Amino acid sequence: MVDQIPNLGRESEMLEELGLSSISDLFSNIPEEVRRNNPLPLPPPQTEEEILEDARRILGANVDLDSRPSFLSAGLVRNFVPAMVPMMATRGEFLTSYTPYQPEVSQGMLQAMWEFQTMVSELVGLPVANVSMYDASTSAAEAITCAVRVKGRKATQPDMVYVSDLVPPHRMSVIENYTKGVGISIQKISHKSDGSLDLRDAERAKGSCAVYIEQPNSLGVLDSGILQIRQSIGEFTSLIVGVDVVSLGVIEPPGNWGADIVVGEGQPFGIGPTGGGPIYGIFACSSDYLRLMPGRIVGQSIDSAGKTAYTLTLSTREQHIRRHRATSNICSNETLIALMGAMHMAMLGPEGLEKLALRTLSSTQSTMSSILSIDGVELHNQNTDVFREFAVKLPGSASEALISMDKSGVLGGFDLGQWWESMSDTLLIGCDERTTDADINALTNALRDWVMEETS
Amino acid sequence: MSTIFDFNGSKGSGWSQPEPALPNAIDSIPEQLRRRKLPAWPRASEPELVRHYTGLSQMNFGIDTGFYPLGSCTMKHNPRINEKIVQLPGIDRIHPLQDESQVQGLLAIYYEMQEMLGICSGMDSVTLQPVAGAQGEFTAIRCIQEYHKSNGDEERDKVIVPDSAHGTNPASASMCGYQIIEIPSGEDGRLDIEALQAAVGKDTAAMMITNPSTLGLFETQITEAARIVHEAGGQMYYDGANFNAIIGKTDPGRMGFDAVHYNLHKTFSQPHGGGGPGSGPIGVKNHLSSFLPTPIASRRDIKKDDPKGVGDGHWYFWKEVGEKSIGKIQQWNGNAGAVVRAWAFYRRYGRDLVKMSEHAVLNSNYLRHRIMNPDPEAAEKILCMPKEGAQSDLVMHEFTLSLSPVKDLNGVTGKDVAKRLLDYGYMSPTLYFPQIVPECLMIEPTETESKEVLDKFAADFHSVLSEDPEIVTTAPHSTPVKRVDEVWAARNLVLRHPIEEK
Repeated sequence: MVDQIPNLGRESEMLEELGLSSISDLFSNIPEEVRRNNPLPLPPPQTEEEILEDARRILGANVDLDSRPSFLSAGLVRNFVPAMVPMMATRGEFLTSYTPYQPEVSQGMLQAMWEFQTMVSELVGLPVANVSMYDASTSAAEAITCAVRVKGRKATQPDMVYVSDLVPPHRMSVIENYTKGVGISIQKISHKSDGSLDLRDAERAKGSCAVYIEQPNSLGVLDSGILQIRQSIGEFTSLIVGVDVVSLGVIEPPGNWGADIVVGEGQPFGIGPTGGGPIYGIFACSSDYLRLMPGRIVGQSIDSAGKTAYTLTLSTREQHIRRHRATSNICSNETLIALMGAMHMAMLGPEGLEKLALRTLSSTQSTMSSILSIDGVELHNQNTDVFREFAVKLPGSASEALISMDKSGVLGGFDLGQWWESMSDTLLIGCDERTTDADINALTNALRDWVMEETS
Repeated sequence: MSTIFDFNGSKGSGWSQPEPALPNAIDSIPEQLRRRKLPAWPRASEPELVRHYTGLSQMNFGIDTGFYPLGSCTMKHNPRINEKIVQLPGIDRIHPLQDESQVQGLLAIYYEMQEMLGICSGMDSVTLQPVAGAQGEFTAIRCIQEYHKSNGDEERDKVIVPDSAHGTNPASASMCGYQIIEIPSGEDGRLDIEALQAAVGKDTAAMMITNPSTLGLFETQITEAARIVHEAGGQMYYDGANFNAIIGKTDPGRMGFDAVHYNLHKTFSQPHGGGGPGSGPIGVKNHLSSFLPTPIASRRDIKKDDPKGVGDGHWYFWKEVGEKSIGKIQQWNGNAGAVVRAWAFYRRYGRDLVKMSEHAVLNSNYLRHRIMNPDPEAAEKILCMPKEGAQSDLVMHEFTLSLSPVKDLNGVTGKDVAKRLLDYGYMSPTLYFPQIVPECLMIEPTETESKEVLDKFAADFHSVLSEDPEIVTTAPHSTPVKRVDEVWAARNLVLRHPIEEK
């Protein structure tokens, strides 16, 4: 501990200068009635060596995704991050800086975030992006509240928002928390049996504040129909689209087909799944939403000598200035992870992105055809237009299939019964650019063994 | 400096990757869905990018660069072992939806952190799900909202905050649909009990307050405040931004609070990363426990036929909070990586966490004393001294100064002094906050600065106060760019690179 506190052992020297005789004198303003007079019931301090040893032992009890064939995705990706990314992003000048409130000594992070905004803007096809939200779910939730702020007054269905019924329940729960208190109501838009959005049903959203849909949806389905969703929901209603960022290497960005706000999980660019965080949400919008959007934004400027410089801008939307009238309470965001994302995106380049998407597409197709060769296993909704994930119906419980595959050393996917009770026989299989033929064979064999046992 | 979009060299295939197994994979995408034009991202090689980002980092100031006395932000040293630990595959390559048998290690760390934070704060239950301080506030206020609702107390629609509160407090409560009542501080900068008494009523849902306050003062009448709010039927919420001042000395439980958030990125050294990630767990008393986000880490004794756990005799599992739970506040289980870093930090101190707070308060008082009592030789040259922002012999982990006397004398503002300090190789203190102190500089040295650094900072601060005002008002002079025109940025709104395709 002494290695962390430079003035240990020098207390009396400093106290003397203050005219005090003991450390407890410093705390004399704490009334007796609330003082703690006994030590904290915690274990003794450890050394760096001991902590690392414990960390290795304890975290070593986790099964890391790279240690076996893994097909678990469901919103996060078993990606490969270039070695340069964590090494550069954890340079102390980035890692240990605060929010760049003093632009003169924060040009590095400010410029990097301005470049990040540009790359996100290019990726999704919208002109404005912020420097990140916490994750895909909070990004979607705050996109909805933002759209209500923009559209609320003129909407014929004020405070009403329509959301795809395939948004996973945990994301839906985040959305409900962000909307409930401020009186926003949510209606669901249903899907057809082929997994595509029911555009007739979407017509109910006309005149509401916003529609939130995802492409691909949570079952991995790419829906060509939603390119025409504007005709269903009308020009007024704000269209918010959640994306798989990697898919945009091959899929037309929503900004080009009518989306007003695009959100998504940034994690595939920059960082491993990290047990669910820190990750980062992307948030991009058209300029109509700029002044009512959440989050920090970097703008280009000039310094007093006329030289190009960068600074945080439009801060009058934010809580530290606007307090209870702010567009969001977000303060700490995920800047460092967004920086990792920027580095990863820059490393890929346009053609690298396309290739990453094609690799993912390729492994999804290969895995799907291999899995569908198993008798008794069929696609959940007979739709082969999928990216990264696909859902298959099993002749038994998905959770039991996963337990069985686990015994063969395969992480076989996700039991959709955990999200929707009616889908307890449906397995969500997720692929990525690193899925190998050997992985696919291991999965197929493990699943076939279980199916044969189940059906015999 | 050039931007990353100046790199547009090779038109090749970008970052080298293995070829897709299926050369015609694109055929599986319906024609009308296919991307027509790739994003205009840079085309750069690794050596170019490494140099680019090294160059950018050299134009950025971190704790590693120099003293960072940014009040209310607790800019303490970030131990490097923590960074090494989060690169281990047992955290970096873990998926939150893995079966609990595959994440025993992560669950064990979550459990240990929940327990530790509960002990340090006097709370009964802790969730690590909120990912930032502001999200912790929002989460706790949502829990309080549902608590009132379950008591049939839905008419409570107001949240009380002191005028010295962080902006996130009113913003978080407002996002839950609450109206905000701001109460002014008393003349000594502390909470005005009479104003509070006048503000509470049948419509009070909660009071949000940090203690010590943003003035660095311990609220000596905090239990009286809690009594008043509770009597009116409201809940007491503790903003843990200033938790670094009190660990092991007192806790929000003793003060009468019902809910609290912690900033793992302040108190427990998760690096601030230029604005995040953070982690904002919350702790609550028993009556609020059933409203917490779900799930939380739990454990039982290990049984004979359990698989191997972490070897401490326990089996860990995610426990659903139940039907009253507000559900999810982040999609997964929070910023696990930040939790692991904070765990490694906490293990370094264990029961001696109290030393951390003692030294944070010692350093703060020492620096304040050195600044306000210049050496006779320095005093002779000083044009004008600032005023202390709070009339108190003692402060906690931070303190405020008002540069008003200096501004009155020669027009040098708090902002000018802040900018001039950049030239001396320091990050500026927090500027113009809390707003109740005119021309405010808010200074928090933390426990990880040596006496020598504090002495030098005080001397340099005096030197700034002795300088020709012309030099100070035009500062900074030796930073990568000179004073940045924030109005220009807001007027022109150049929010992305206007890429021209080459």
